[in-house]
Amino acid sequence: MITAKPNSVNDSRVVMLAEGSPDDWSDLLVKVGEHQDRAAFARLFSHFAPLVKGFLLRGSNLIPEQAEELVQETMIKVWNKAGSFNRQKSSASTWIYTIARNTRIDWLRREARSRVDIEADDLYDTGEDNPSYSSLIKVRDTENIRAHIGDLPQEQLDVVTKVYYEGKSHSEVSSELGLPLGTVKSRIRLALKKMNVTLAKEAEG
Amino acid sequence: MVSKHPNIDLLSEYATGGLTPAQNATISAHLHYCARCRDHVRSLEEIGGWMVEHSEKEPVSDNLLDAVLARIDASAACPTETEPVAPDLAMLPRSVQKLVPGGRADWRPLISSLEVAQIPCGETRFELSLHRIKAGGRSFQHDHKGLEITVVLRGSFSDGDGVYQEGDFIVREPGDVHMPIATQNEECVCLSACEAPIRLTGMLTRVLNPFLGFNPA
Repeated sequence: MITAKPNSVNDSRVVMLAEGSPDDWSDLLVKVGEHQDRAAFARLFSHFAPLVKGFLLRGSNLIPEQAEELVQETMIKVWNKAGSFNRQKSSASTWIYTIARNTRIDWLRREARSRVDIEADDLYDTGEDNPSYSSLIKVRDTENIRAHIGDLPQEQLDVVTKVYYEGKSHSEVSSELGLPLGTVKSRIRLALKKMNVTLAKEAEG
Repeated sequence: MVSKHPNIDLLSEYATGGLTPAQNATISAHLHYCARCRDHVRSLEEIGGWMVEHSEKEPVSDNLLDAVLARIDASAACPTETEPVAPDLAMLPRSVQKLVPGGRADWRPLISSLEVAQIPCGETRFELSLHRIKAGGRSFQHDHKGLEITVVLRGSFSDGDGVYQEGDFIVREPGDVHMPIATQNEECVCLSACEAPIRLTGMLTRVLNPFLGFNPA
């Protein structure tokens, strides 16, 4: 039920550093977007396809064949949308995360045989570029996450990893973990505050 | 100036993919107007990026890259068309335009000063619709059996609690009673997600529609 594996998180960070830096992945994405560079795409694929598959498998009851289908769809969108990737505003892994998230949402909709054809990319289209979110904020966020995620109490890490890996609502997480909804929400709020990814004074709405 | 925002719980569920389509649509509509909340969501998505980056690598089939490249080549041959959008929708956020079937809202008068256009979005928890109140017109007094989320898309309206401008994100709890009135000089268009009166609970909901959250008891 509880899927957090803080040790493997730390281990894979070491692997990540050995293989390439986030800037390299951004360079490759820009090459794909501007020049339809297949060699760059192949390198991105060899790095991210196994990560996306691992991300999807950890968070769901997908069988590996389904996960590979979703990896394919995700990577096709990476190719098609690479022109809209803005390295100032997003790291490559974050941009690919949003694509994988939306691909999973569309897959779940198809599995439920929904008669309404709404694509997650449309549901997430805010229609605006982000004038204020700068590379400075991006760097601040990634540094804060890197610095603090390992220090989160296990109970907060469990809930945070569950919502990201499984894409579930807070009520669903509450049911599945047998925790009151308020507890789930407060653990997430506390974790976000510790990672400084939300402005504390604006967290209440 | 946007002054009413979704809380951090909703923004975080949005960033992780935990909302229903109708809820998602209201947040995207708000984000269209609100750079501050867009920043929040970007920050929350950075955590998702971190999770992907630190996932355990699962080997993929040897031929997967070739399969992807073949599908890319095949799809390049058939360009997609974008649907034209009717003039009454042209000024609305793109995310809203895209949800309206055929780019044409099916406006139906409810009372003389208020028209409603349903937006089908394949879920049973929330009903998504556009509301258009004539300049100075009254909506009708109503209470809420479930949650109601409203985002002002054009113009402004007021009720007993305040004045709401473009982009404002207003959540009404069950039991709240109010009667929105559009501002005198222009019509007001809102996007609204109302929790449906019939609530399904339990695993069945998930089977029927995976976008549905469990209803909190």
